[in-house]
Amino acid sequence: MKLSLLLFAIGLLMVLLQTTFLHFFPLVPDLILVLCVYWGLHHPTVGAVLASFVLGYSVDVVSSPILGINAFAMSLVFLAVYFSSRSIWLHNHLVSAVVVLLASLVKGVALVLVSAIFLSTEGFWMGALRYILLEALVAALLAPFVFALLRRGQTYLEKVQIPGLYY
Amino acid sequence: MLAFFRKYQIPLSCCFCIVLSLYIMTAAARGQLKNDPIGPLLLWLIRPLQIAAHSTTSWIKGLQESHLTAAGYKAENERLRKRILELEMERNRFLEAEATNQQLRHLLDFRSHLPAAGITASIIANSASNWFQSCSIDKGTADGVRKGMSVVTPLGVVGRVVDVAARSAKVLLLTDPNSGIDVMVQRTRARGIVSGSLENGTVLKYIKRTEDVQVGDRLITSGLDGVFLKGLMVGTVTKVRKESLGLFQVIEVMPAVSLARTEIVLVVSAEGRSAAK
Repeated sequence: MKLSLLLFAIGLLMVLLQTTFLHFFPLVPDLILVLCVYWGLHHPTVGAVLASFVLGYSVDVVSSPILGINAFAMSLVFLAVYFSSRSIWLHNHLVSAVVVLLASLVKGVALVLVSAIFLSTEGFWMGALRYILLEALVAALLAPFVFALLRRGQTYLEKVQIPGLYY
Repeated sequence: MLAFFRKYQIPLSCCFCIVLSLYIMTAAARGQLKNDPIGPLLLWLIRPLQIAAHSTTSWIKGLQESHLTAAGYKAENERLRKRILELEMERNRFLEAEATNQQLRHLLDFRSHLPAAGITASIIANSASNWFQSCSIDKGTADGVRKGMSVVTPLGVVGRVVDVAARSAKVLLLTDPNSGIDVMVQRTRARGIVSGSLENGTVLKYIKRTEDVQVGDRLITSGLDGVFLKGLMVGTVTKVRKESLGLFQVIEVMPAVSLARTEIVLVVSAEGRSAAK
């Protein structure tokens, strides 16, 4: 639970990055999704599920026209990654990139479907496909680096052995 | 029973979160979500960090400019170079203050021309998602900002307030696919709706094929949507296309305000009830 809280703090930092510094890029990389996939693959706990939900919700609070839309997408992504992680026996950069790519596609499709139901935005479908693919590719490209950083941070924490950090 | 829950705790908690988010979406779409307990807490957590990040970005920009200006003095000795850098940084701060002062003067001048009182606000963060075009401003209910108020600059329309917290507010930009602003073509008075689209950028919708709209035509708010005052600049027509089928023309628009270059905005109410701060 404490590790989930720590990872949740990293998640909030990623929300901050996405709303400020990363906005200078033409396409904002979805670091929150990459983090949720990391949780789904390496820390499938109830705390991580809740953290994914809350991070999605925080994106909704600062960005979305309707509350709950990203919270829904992130929870769905976590569920999909959790089920897929049970079939993955190999953990390397390529596999993590592929999982992130698929997770991003799941998120994109979920967002389009929910937008169609709750927002009924005209012409949303046509432009959405390009965004889904671009976002998925960027997230997949970034995934190995973010995973490596998170893993390094985790290894460092394990070495430091902060009392009571792990259950 | 307990063993079942323990075995499937992760899928079950995921399902719970999915159902909860569906409930939140439904309630929000119906306008029944009045007291959201998590949103203000998250904003309370994120807002100071966003303000700090915004200040850091401005500082880095200033530093970068100072370095560029100081590049011509590379031949000077180290002590003088440091001194120049310090002076340049100071000068940059003054220039920045002057630029902000000028922006505020423009806003003040613009505000005096508006029938309704306005609230001056700074943009502190942008959208975290590529799907929605929004930004956050540093004024909220405590400053008199209310949901549905319009956000403008002297150059034109920025967007509309869609969510308000005590010390910040979320603004849906006119470039968002979910936005819709009732506008008219200044030259011909033909009316339509300006909205964002993921495909063509910002578009002018529902203009009949028979209407005369040309590239370069200026679009202004009609004031009929009850959100924006009449006569505010929205954008300029950049492309007009008449498809072989369909009732309406396909018109692309260049927004009058570029968010990338906007720092200070004015929040106004079309009804003129807002309290000036």
